[in-house]
Amino acid sequence: MVPEGETLSSLSNPLATVEQLSNSSSSLDGVPPSLESSIRFAGLQITQAAGILLRIPQEIIAQAMVIFTRFYLGPEGGSVRKNGAKDVSAASIYIAAKLSADPRTTRSVCNVYAYLMSAPTRQAFPNPPPHDPESYFLSEGSYHSARALLLQTETIILRTLSFNTKVVVPHHLALTYLQTLGVLPTVPSSTSRNLASRTLGYLNLALFSPQLLYITHQPTSLAVAAIYLTAREVEVKLPSNEWWEVFDVDREELGFLVVALQSCEGWIRAEKERWPGTSCPVTVDGVNLEIKDID
Amino acid sequence: MTSTPMQRSLDPLEPGDTPTQRTASGKTNLEKTDDGEPRFNGCSTIKSYEISEKLGEGTFGEVYKARSVKDGHVVALKKILMHNEKDGFPITALREIKLLKMLSHPNVLRLEEMAVERTKGEGRKKAIMYMVTPYMDHDLSGLLENPKVHFSEPQIKCYMLQLLEGLRYLHASKILHRDMKAANLLINNRGILQIADFGLARPYDDPIPRPGNGGGEAKRDYTTLVVTRWYRPPELLLQLRRYTTAIDMWGVGCVFGEMFRGKPILAGTSDLNQAQLIFDLVGSPTEENMPGWSSLPGCDGVTSFSSRPGTLAQVFRQEGSSAISLLGELLKLDWRKRINAIDALEHPYFKNPPLPARPGDIPRFEDSHELDRRRFRGQKAALPPAPAGGSVGMGPHGDWTNGSMAMNNRGLQRPWGAKPGFPGQQQQQQQQQQQQPQPQPQRYNDSNNRTHYPPPDHRVPGPPGPPPPPAHRPAWARDANGLPPRPPPSHVSGSGGMGWSNENPTDVPRTRMPARGIAPAGAARGEVDTYIPAYASRDSGSRDRDEGLRREERANWRRHGNRREGEAREPARRRSRSPERFWERDRHEGYRR
Repeated sequence: MVPEGETLSSLSNPLATVEQLSNSSSSLDGVPPSLESSIRFAGLQITQAAGILLRIPQEIIAQAMVIFTRFYLGPEGGSVRKNGAKDVSAASIYIAAKLSADPRTTRSVCNVYAYLMSAPTRQAFPNPPPHDPESYFLSEGSYHSARALLLQTETIILRTLSFNTKVVVPHHLALTYLQTLGVLPTVPSSTSRNLASRTLGYLNLALFSPQLLYITHQPTSLAVAAIYLTAREVEVKLPSNEWWEVFDVDREELGFLVVALQSCEGWIRAEKERWPGTSCPVTVDGVNLEIKDID
Repeated sequence: MTSTPMQRSLDPLEPGDTPTQRTASGKTNLEKTDDGEPRFNGCSTIKSYEISEKLGEGTFGEVYKARSVKDGHVVALKKILMHNEKDGFPITALREIKLLKMLSHPNVLRLEEMAVERTKGEGRKKAIMYMVTPYMDHDLSGLLENPKVHFSEPQIKCYMLQLLEGLRYLHASKILHRDMKAANLLINNRGILQIADFGLARPYDDPIPRPGNGGGEAKRDYTTLVVTRWYRPPELLLQLRRYTTAIDMWGVGCVFGEMFRGKPILAGTSDLNQAQLIFDLVGSPTEENMPGWSSLPGCDGVTSFSSRPGTLAQVFRQEGSSAISLLGELLKLDWRKRINAIDALEHPYFKNPPLPARPGDIPRFEDSHELDRRRFRGQKAALPPAPAGGSVGMGPHGDWTNGSMAMNNRGLQRPWGAKPGFPGQQQQQQQQQQQQPQPQPQRYNDSNNRTHYPPPDHRVPGPPGPPPPPAHRPAWARDANGLPPRPPPSHVSGSGGMGWSNENPTDVPRTRMPARGIAPAGAARGEVDTYIPAYASRDSGSRDRDEGLRREERANWRRHGNRREGEAREPARRRSRSPERFWERDRHEGYRR
């Protein structure tokens, strides 16, 4: 009897269509593609930071970041001129946490985003200078409006995604693959530790990729690419044959992903130079101002 | 947090970008394809369905029958009410939807899509979400409740096969259903059975069942606060935390027996009583028939039970030896040896004559929904509530049937004790039959003692009520005697909805339904919390224990330091299934994949 569990597709994600990638709601609203990428990057950064502050496991943060990315996808998705990246980020992490073992309260989420939005924090996360708590204190009134906004945005995201909230992330897969490849000894060495953590590092990096790797490639491919790249860097010998075939990844896809992962770092550096400090707009107001400046 | 000036667009009601906006701004209209079909395949709007009638109404909201405008197929729409707006979209609904979207099997209720209704209320606009599922004509519990319906043996075998197929799929997909009961099994007039209500389901982290290996063993702990009491297996009653897929198989056994008896076979009035009924039927636990039972925490603190041999074979002697054999395998005390779905499908019961009917050969029955079934009410015992955390918008009867039973909140009921009914009630039953010259479902000849004898009902004494109307009655037209079915108080919520269901009925001004039923005793005490199912108000001992547990949990909560900041606790107004409660459970349990 064939185990029907396979139909559960617990290892795959829905991927973006060509049409969704070639057009976005934001660009229809007059947001230039490069600005859109920057805003997406800034929103993802905030999501990652908020996840850390909320003490959410990285797996769940990654899910929130994928939900965030899915939301702005395609002409039917959200637009950064209608739903600010910061708000969508907050609602994404709220949804991801709600679906996890360990939900977070609206209060915690609102507090964290108020803190993150305070200028010194945003400039220097994760090690901001100590600054006046007054600058990020949420009064009862502003908490209530922040919560209303959070829950409103939650509904918009759920509707836009048609409730497709399931996200498979490749982190645990990658570790399983490393074990399968026999490069994770039962007693970890410094090399194997380095190998595992750098692999996971690449997978976290891929979340920020302007090529939207998490919604264009399956988790298996991402895991293989991260392992391939890391093994080369830390000089761990992998089988000399085409081992990635075992994990259903072909050479072409692997090549593309390796290049994409390698280019991430440079792109992120360029982004940081382009938007020093807090200048990248993550609210609807900010985006509108920015576009006015461009015009 | 700054709020944007474009608040309007943040409103769920406002489709972020409408075609008109697009064309007005001179952009290409990408919302629709050239032939005018919407390109957007997210949630469809409620306008793509024509609602024809209300099927049920429960603590959770309403279920409607509707027809798709596009292709005319009939669906059920389950409204997800956003009662607890404090926390946004209901957590159980979100999880159930996520799970349902991963499943696809002919014997598992399919979530076709989500539909959104945009309404403009006073000042504030709201989006109402609906779950769209195929329309099913009956639920098993409702069907069994219909005195005119009797199942033939081939029919029972047919339903059992489908139930086992569905469960085999769920377990192979690493899902525990955790609320197996007749009310959660939906049946349509083509004879198809589907498992519904995944409000308590969760991923199963242990090895899936293998042929010949029973339920296997689990390595991790899960919460024991699952499964409606009458279908709860002995290991859960004795507080085993490391349970397996075998808990669902016990429920199958209960449903199997229920199909013979026409009513739940183990209708315990409290957890302890439930355990005693089980041990009466299948024998008391020993280290032989239930290894390790004595090291379990026990039921309500009781850890010893008088020795009994079990009466299963005697009680079901009319059903034949292979049925008794399968029933015995399903109702096995040892959860490790209890038969799994794979093996049950191969059981000789299904190979011996009479062979299972094909679904298409099963006769059609009169629809069994809440609003239809009200006339049968009062003949069945009140189903104990599902543990809180239950279904997305489903009543104690699952789905669109809210059960028609809650009216008889009577005391201890024998599982299948053939008590003589009150003459009045029998008379009523006859009247009903006379007054409803509807197409009679095909009758079977095996009238082996399956008459439904209504047990005495102390709460509704006197002469039978007015004869039931032949057709649907709108909700508002119900007379006092037509109180909707609802399980007795403290359960209310458990059974149902998405977190608010447990609240004091007087405390729900926002709901559209009238506060119905009896005010929960628990509510009156300002302490309604069915997350820990405090089922029986009559079972004070158990209640006290439950409250003790709740206190403990709360203390736990504080210890975890995760108490919500800035929210004063108002016990009297607490919603039973507040997310904290879930979080608490999930914290213990680690709802992680």
